[in-house]
Amino acid sequence: MFKDKSHIVRIFSIIVVLGVIGFIARQIALPENFGLHGHYRWEANNQNRALPIINQNSNTCKSCHEGIYQLHGKDAHYNVPCVDCHGAGNLHVTYHKDSLGTITKEQAVMPREFKLEGCLFCHRKLKARPSDFPQIDQDEHYKFLNVTNKGTKCIECHSPHEPVFLLTEVKQSRIHPIVYKCTECHNKKPEKSFKEVADHPAIFECKDCHSSVVKSFEVRPHHKYIDCRTCHLYHKENETTGRIYKNGNVKFCLLCHEKKSFKDEKYPPKIDWPSHIGNLNIIEKSDEKICLKCHADQIHDMNQNTKEDPHPKNWTREHKSFTKDNSQLCQKCHTTNQCSSCHLKTKPVSHVPSWSKLHPESAAQNKSSCEFCHKQNSCANCHKVEIPHPKGFEETHKDVVSQKGKDVCAKCHKEDFCKQCH
Amino acid sequence: MEKEEKLNDSESAKMERRQFLRLGLYSAAGVLCGSFFAFGKGDKDIVVDNYEDLLKYDWGFIVDTTRCIGCGACVRACKVENNVPESYFRTWVERYEIDSKGEIRVDSPKGAIESFQSDNFDSNDIVKAFFVPKLCNHCYDSACTQVCPVGASYESPDGVVLIDKERCVGCGYCVQACPYGCRYIDEEKGIADKCTLCYHRIHKGEAPACVNACPRNARIFGNLKDPNSKIRKILNQRRYGLLKAELGTNPKCYYIGLDKEVK
Repeated sequence: MFKDKSHIVRIFSIIVVLGVIGFIARQIALPENFGLHGHYRWEANNQNRALPIINQNSNTCKSCHEGIYQLHGKDAHYNVPCVDCHGAGNLHVTYHKDSLGTITKEQAVMPREFKLEGCLFCHRKLKARPSDFPQIDQDEHYKFLNVTNKGTKCIECHSPHEPVFLLTEVKQSRIHPIVYKCTECHNKKPEKSFKEVADHPAIFECKDCHSSVVKSFEVRPHHKYIDCRTCHLYHKENETTGRIYKNGNVKFCLLCHEKKSFKDEKYPPKIDWPSHIGNLNIIEKSDEKICLKCHADQIHDMNQNTKEDPHPKNWTREHKSFTKDNSQLCQKCHTTNQCSSCHLKTKPVSHVPSWSKLHPESAAQNKSSCEFCHKQNSCANCHKVEIPHPKGFEETHKDVVSQKGKDVCAKCHKEDFCKQCH
Repeated sequence: MEKEEKLNDSESAKMERRQFLRLGLYSAAGVLCGSFFAFGKGDKDIVVDNYEDLLKYDWGFIVDTTRCIGCGACVRACKVENNVPESYFRTWVERYEIDSKGEIRVDSPKGAIESFQSDNFDSNDIVKAFFVPKLCNHCYDSACTQVCPVGASYESPDGVVLIDKERCVGCGYCVQACPYGCRYIDEEKGIADKCTLCYHRIHKGEAPACVNACPRNARIFGNLKDPNSKIRKILNQRRYGLLKAELGTNPKCYYIGLDKEVK
């Protein structure tokens, strides 16, 4: 039909070749699995997932630092993850979990020293911060606490893991007792009953229920500077026992009264801790309210009748080293001649020349009074036998006499003592 | 003869050209076919995530602005986690302050990486002030993925807007398209980059770095497709707002306590 078809074949073959070239070019240009599940490279999803985790979860920290994790979980910072203060921690974790040795020990060390600024990231007083969040105006705070050095770090007083020493369920506490007062939020008292204020813990004036305590507090020196809430937390609506904010805890008292280089020297009265009460070894560790034992009357009436013995159990032995440095402190409670009732340079008045004959009577009456000066086994030093004689000595004394001789008996018993029976 | 010879010559030359063309054509076809097999993808097995598994998730994000204290822990954590260049932020915290005359000031010094120093107005004059943390909204109908000329910006099956770092050419079109300013060009790598909701963490059971670092639980993250998830329960209880909802991007970052000043 067609004399010459070659030009048609040529055109079509060119189109086919171009098509093939185009197809192959697309195959080369398009990356692997592009368009598998949309207009993107499916492999990229894998690549995005493959990156390493840098910031560690607090649970990871817990697996080694269980103790500090539990401590941290009980106080106000319970919700602050470890990474916020200590850094991401990926190097630390890989160093301690893998023994590959790609990371040096120096790299694995977590930052620990807290800058002042670090705390203020969260706690600087800003209008934009929610009002129920504890915020510090640094100038005000330091003025209140008489801190003279403005560069003082928060960590000097607040342990970052237990920042406010709260004892009770911290998750329910809403208000930092030092920082907040009603007047910071309210210009005046609410007109309605406190109970009708929505979402607010019911607040009563302390003296409504505790009038005698408040009265006695108001005549004592502390009332000029702190109020009830500084030590005691509010009652909550459905609680009858009251929530107590480590009242009288030694750490709490020390926040203001411990001598530190950055604090004003004179006011409020400062003490050296722990030398104030002597060597810490003699204070039982569980004794958190040691301050109250002597200073309770400077705060408010605390029913003096229930006052306990302030000294630890083994005090008679331990007090020697303590009194050497702090003899004045003893005199606060003990009269000056109280030492001499036990310790005498000369012999006690009772120890008259004939005392060696007289002493059995008084020793039998009050053996412990001997032990103020004489050691517990001092009887045996002279008598060589147990004094007073134990039960059943009548039957066993034969052995003692045969072992130690008759002289031992002769110290107390007359010569004819044996003959009374034998 | 001379003429004839010349004619013959030219004819033989013609034949040579045709032969040459034919040869060229065949060889080109051969090379192309060969290259097809050489460079073709074939049926090489690639280990990829199970697409169907990812469809079980739809990651969502809640920002509770009433709880944010503007400490910047999230910003610092994100910086470290994702190695974000110094002057850019994948998440940042804005501060809004409104004084008694109704004047508004918004600021975010260094993305609040070192928190905020002091109030902008006289603090007695401020009637309202609050923090708003911002991050990529991971929109359902995101503008940034639509404009990408090379298909490097995409939405993953589990609802996270991601970037294919190998594919991206760094044209910056997506940076302009995002109405929330959540993208930036990483000059060192020459590609666009953005918040990935810490895609490398969330499938390993970890929360995104910013959620992990938040000390006030102001950021909540979870699976929107799971009716029992924390995020779902909060969305069912609380009233929330969206940023620039009128643009129709359908953002997936829900803001609790959003004010009209926040854009």
